[in-house]
Amino acid sequence: MTEDLKSYLNKQMATVDNLHAIAITDRDGVVIVKVANQMAPDTALRQAFLSVFGIMTEQASKMGIGNNSKIINFYDRFQTVQINSHPLLLHFIADRDANTGLILELEHALADVLQDISKVVTMM
Amino acid sequence: MLKPRALSDVLSQANTGGVGSTLLLNSEGSLLAFSGFGDKDASAAGAIASNIWTSFQKSGQLSLDDSKLDCVLVECKFGKIAITKVANLLLCLCSDENVSFGMLKTKITAMSSYLEEPLSQIASS
Repeated sequence: MTEDLKSYLNKQMATVDNLHAIAITDRDGVVIVKVANQMAPDTALRQAFLSVFGIMTEQASKMGIGNNSKIINFYDRFQTVQINSHPLLLHFIADRDANTGLILELEHALADVLQDISKVVTMM
Repeated sequence: MLKPRALSDVLSQANTGGVGSTLLLNSEGSLLAFSGFGDKDASAAGAIASNIWTSFQKSGQLSLDDSKLDCVLVECKFGKIAITKVANLLLCLCSDENVSFGMLKTKITAMSSYLEEPLSQIASS
């Protein structure tokens, strides 16, 4: 089943040029499932990096404009699109020039997957 | 030297089409200049925005091949925020939820380009 899931994530990843990795984690940044190609930095798929969004999404929810749903970071060579899909976090790592709009659309394509994984995480 | 009134007037130019406020912060998250409306606590939002910037900047340096952070876009239920660096300060735009990311990014990029030179002169003096 994990292989089917990874295969599906890989297919979705291939729909956006220069998208290098998709990771689904819990709120602490612990990886539940991830797919990546060789262009994605290994260190960006570790808990140390992915957990930062978990902390920042909580902080951003205290800014007085409601709960945080997304944070998009543009670096000089990469961009990260990170989505708060309680109780899960969805992370995309892409080149700076990848189409951010298409990456954001993948949230809808992965909605069913996230719902299924959420059920398991909530049960635990 | 810095003219607070002139600076506030420049920042206010971004406050159209759903953008409610524009903030200039120093590296510690303290409010340097503000232009906007509403009764929200700008200094608290600015401090959190500064913390978000610093955290992602550090993690990008460590985990993304020493990448330099350029711009952060934050979407919450009732609004969006854009954050970027200008000289040694942070520029922050706050909008309602209907403003598109593209417009927010374009505005903050244009404003930071405009303010880069004058604020760099202040920083180096």
